[in-house]
Amino acid sequence: MATDVSPLDGVPLLDVENLQIELITAHGVIRAVDGVSFTVGEGETVTLIGESGSGKSTTAMGVLRLLPEGLAVLSGSVRIAGRDVVADPRAARALRGRTVSLIPQDPMTALSPVHTIGRQLGDALRLRHPGLSRAETRERGTELLAQVHVPRPETRWKAYPHQFSGGMLQRVLIAVALAAEPRLLIADEPTSALDATVQAGVLDLLMELQEVEGIGMLMITHDLGVARVVSDRIHVMKEGRFVESGPAGTIVDRPAEPYTRALLAAVPRLGAWDEDGLTGAVAR
Amino acid sequence: MPKYLARRLGQSLLTVFLTLTTVFLLVRLAPGDPAAAYAGPTATTADLARIRGEFGLDQPLIQQYGIFLRDLLTGNLGTSYSFRAPALDVVLDRMPYTITLAVAAIAVTAVVAVPLGVWMARRADSKRELGANVLTITGQSMPDFWTGVMLLTVFAVLLPVLPASGFTSWSGLVLPTVTVAILQLALISRLVRREMTTALNSPYITVARSRGFSERALTWRYALGNSGVPLITAIGTRFAALLNGVVVVEVVFGWPGVGSLVVRALETRDYPLIQATVLVTATLAILVQLLVDLAYPLLDPRVRLGKAA
Repeated sequence: MATDVSPLDGVPLLDVENLQIELITAHGVIRAVDGVSFTVGEGETVTLIGESGSGKSTTAMGVLRLLPEGLAVLSGSVRIAGRDVVADPRAARALRGRTVSLIPQDPMTALSPVHTIGRQLGDALRLRHPGLSRAETRERGTELLAQVHVPRPETRWKAYPHQFSGGMLQRVLIAVALAAEPRLLIADEPTSALDATVQAGVLDLLMELQEVEGIGMLMITHDLGVARVVSDRIHVMKEGRFVESGPAGTIVDRPAEPYTRALLAAVPRLGAWDEDGLTGAVAR
Repeated sequence: MPKYLARRLGQSLLTVFLTLTTVFLLVRLAPGDPAAAYAGPTATTADLARIRGEFGLDQPLIQQYGIFLRDLLTGNLGTSYSFRAPALDVVLDRMPYTITLAVAAIAVTAVVAVPLGVWMARRADSKRELGANVLTITGQSMPDFWTGVMLLTVFAVLLPVLPASGFTSWSGLVLPTVTVAILQLALISRLVRREMTTALNSPYITVARSRGFSERALTWRYALGNSGVPLITAIGTRFAALLNGVVVVEVVFGWPGVGSLVVRALETRDYPLIQATVLVTATLAILVQLLVDLAYPLLDPRVRLGKAA
């Protein structure tokens, strides 16, 4: 689908090697990410899972070079389609919105509140294809909105973010991410700000898109249920390091580390459904 | 929308009326006698009594107020004591000068302060930004009469390139405009900096950056677009204040606007002239405020007219 597809010759889409990220804070320097290495290939989903503060989102933002300049120090290497964005921040700028896209954590704050959905999606489309006319932009944009199952995309084109629900906004943001025709999607907790009933729909959509488009995906989540459903491989992260890595099934069904078992134990499970619905509907 | 407009206009009328009433009472409570100011130091008691009768000041306050209101309805604001002409006409003659100065000063302010504030926000906390900060704080701290006199000394006396006083040619507009603008742009650029710093640190900017937008597009399109409401509010409020006349600057530069008129009206206790000035400037200020309010829904779609009021 992307116009500039170059064969990777066995080079992974995303190749992270010994990545360290130090954050400069008011309380001193914090090593948020401490030497992690992983790869994501075409059509693969790799998940980083861990509790809050484990460094998983910092890793994702570091890969995109979106951490504040001067407050984050990166070392090691991050190669996206062969280009090292740690050594060359300009490479990151060139890759963002073209080869790699982000699906952000909180859809409610991720779009400019004073610009229409169409304007923001259109801007993203024209960044990828500068020659698009207004009508062509709108046509492709509504197609994208339809693809992510936003109802009545033609009429929604002129709507503002505050006129959408969180789940619908996340779909819009996925459409904006797809406008870049990326080969790699970085999804930073794409469902954590959404209601449980909406989460499943957004995950289904991501998996559907991946199947159709063959995009590689780096998923960040704290939810093992999500990780189990979408991932090929899972890396369990704690205090900036990977404590356990492996295929999704193995990590979820036969976790070796106590930390992973603790994460598993934190997942809510559906209990037996009582006829009167009063007891044990959801047992933790 | 028409309903909202009607209600706002009604509120505005009430505001102007209450302001006029307050001023009507206050000028009469203040010490000083218009008749004495009019007649001069050699006037006899009989002269003063005759003049008071002529001005209608010998009647009880409540009756004076009744006459004032009755005349107001017909658009008659009385005759200025010192100009011996309809007070409203005297004020309206001066208005173009005040409006010219206000428009020029606010235009210079907007053209300089917005880019300066944006630049400061993007270079936040760098050494050069610190320098700009020092400059704007200095600008904010200099009293306008002092700035005016300094500019006069340099550009009209030491290097006589610009006229010192009055409005005989457009070059006469330069020094008063710069004097007014220095203070305003110090205030506005610091506000732009604050608003833009907040906007540039918003999640939607980071997400937009992840889409590959240039820093220029992020700054001017997304961040500035989101700073529209506070910016227009600040500029509108400053503009409304300038329309009331920049008293000190007008006096320093001999500018024939409403500001210097008000000084003269107060000195001579020219009640009708004071009242006419207040009516005109208050109406203008309220109109500008109304225009600013009407601009909100254009700048921020989350603002719905009527609901907010």
